[in-house]
Amino acid sequence: MHSHTSTPDAAPHEAERRRRVRRSALLFALIAAGFYFGFILMALVRGWK
Amino acid sequence: MAEQPSHAASHDHDHKPHGWRRWVYATNHKDIGTMYLILACTMFFIGGGMAMLIRLELFKPGLQFFDPQFFNSMTTMHALIMIFGAVMPAWTGLANWMVPMQVGAPDMALPRLNNFSFWILPFAFTLLLSSLFVPGGAPAGGWTMYPPLVLQTGASFPMLVFSVHLMGASSILGAINIVVTIMNMRAPGMTLLRMPLFVWTWLITAYLLIAVMPVLAGAVTMLLTDHFFGTTFFTAAGGGDPVMFQHIFWFFGHPEVYILILPAFGIISEVIPTFSRKPLFGYEAMVYAVASIAFLSFIVWAHHMFTVGMPLAAQLFFMLSTMLIAVPTGVKVFNWTATMWKGSLSFEPPMLFALAFLFLFSIGGFSGLMLAIVPADYQYQDTYFVVAHFHYVLVPGSIFGIMAGVYYWLPKWTGRMYDLKLATWHFWLSAIFVNVLFFPQHFLGLAGMPRRIPDYAVQFTDWNMVSSIGAFGFGLAQFLFPYIIWKCVRGGQPIGNKAWEGAHGLEWELPSPPPYHSWTTPPSDAVIARGAAH
Repeated sequence: MHSHTSTPDAAPHEAERRRRVRRSALLFALIAAGFYFGFILMALVRGWK
Repeated sequence: MAEQPSHAASHDHDHKPHGWRRWVYATNHKDIGTMYLILACTMFFIGGGMAMLIRLELFKPGLQFFDPQFFNSMTTMHALIMIFGAVMPAWTGLANWMVPMQVGAPDMALPRLNNFSFWILPFAFTLLLSSLFVPGGAPAGGWTMYPPLVLQTGASFPMLVFSVHLMGASSILGAINIVVTIMNMRAPGMTLLRMPLFVWTWLITAYLLIAVMPVLAGAVTMLLTDHFFGTTFFTAAGGGDPVMFQHIFWFFGHPEVYILILPAFGIISEVIPTFSRKPLFGYEAMVYAVASIAFLSFIVWAHHMFTVGMPLAAQLFFMLSTMLIAVPTGVKVFNWTATMWKGSLSFEPPMLFALAFLFLFSIGGFSGLMLAIVPADYQYQDTYFVVAHFHYVLVPGSIFGIMAGVYYWLPKWTGRMYDLKLATWHFWLSAIFVNVLFFPQHFLGLAGMPRRIPDYAVQFTDWNMVSSIGAFGFGLAQFLFPYIIWKCVRGGQPIGNKAWEGAHGLEWELPSPPPYHSWTTPPSDAVIARGAAH
């Protein structure tokens, strides 16, 4: 986000949006990591049977 | 246009960096989009060059030019380069350029991550292409990397695995950026059901990417540990299961097909209404159809493996779930046709590519239905019929979709109109030669010619010659594409905000070319409503 886009009234809204961006980016990164490790784990579990 | 400064004034306030720093340190979505598109075009010509070598060898029976190992390297590298280097980066480039402008956002939500996602790719493809020069040659076991065959790859094996990891990381990071941008950066008033179809299809594509690219990464990580660290995930001798790799690969691989085609659905849904001068027929049905196709793509993977052997119930399930995809796809084709019905049609290059997409992608869809029939698939499996099928989906499907998108938005990006006559020539040459190239491959496959072979029985000679002539024609015609773009950038006729009379959408409310930082003030509700005329 470019700072010159924010007005004083928009600042709290902007901060909230930054928080939401960070939170959702982390959530999707965790989902991706879950698929990566989940499939390796599934293959390991299958091998142990 | 009250929300945006005038064209000249906006350029005075661009504050863009100059020289190499503008590109290496780029965080602007338009610059990064341009770099993605240049990379995709470069890879398209490299991958296309490999296709020409393949068709050169197959022009006549017998071994003419290459040894079988190099031929197999060419088929493997052609697929990897075209899928991961040409089509996927082209879609990401188009998303970078268009998504922020179409949702009324000033940029992507995570601009530095955007820079990182792009700059991973040149290293990934340098690594992959440099494997051509190592002892043993480039990977030759097919893009599907099935073990145990792929584990016999020479020194290029770790290069293949590492480059696939890099491509996957780039795609996942890019997809996260796009989802986060669409979910958090839309202008006030840009509700989900006001978003252009291109944004919708990319949102769904990005979810697919986040779910399945890590699965591919997991699969190749296990290949790596099998090769170097003594694990036996896929080695039967150690208690592993090579067929499990196929299941994991195709759990990624089938959604990947939709990753390659869904954004094209979005572009066709933009182009057809514009050149029919009518709103898109059944906007909401189109959104639900794309979402249904994406959901179904997760439960059809084993149709790639019917001949491997599986229980009858599984064969029936995967056959029927695959056929079910024809329903939402049929909804889309019907709605595109209904959009044109009684429209005031004109046939500029984007519309020509969209119409060819509609006809030829449907042919690819129909041959896909044939392949979904289990007993028939036993005959078609690993023949040129399969090659014809997926090339009809990916060339007049994905590639024509990209061409339609570039010819649609190029005037917006550059502020100049390209040579319409030359682009029409590009279309007709491509549309004719793509059929000369791929249609005879249906006949070859039905007659029993196997795929991935450098030599064949003499009865297949005639159609192979026709196919190769089509390939050379198609390949030569593509040189028009960068020339048309170069000519447009250098000296096309300046245009106004709207390049096309019937165009709707926020991007057409901006000047052409758009200012370096667009929508620094969000568009008003009235502007959004005017753009969302579906």
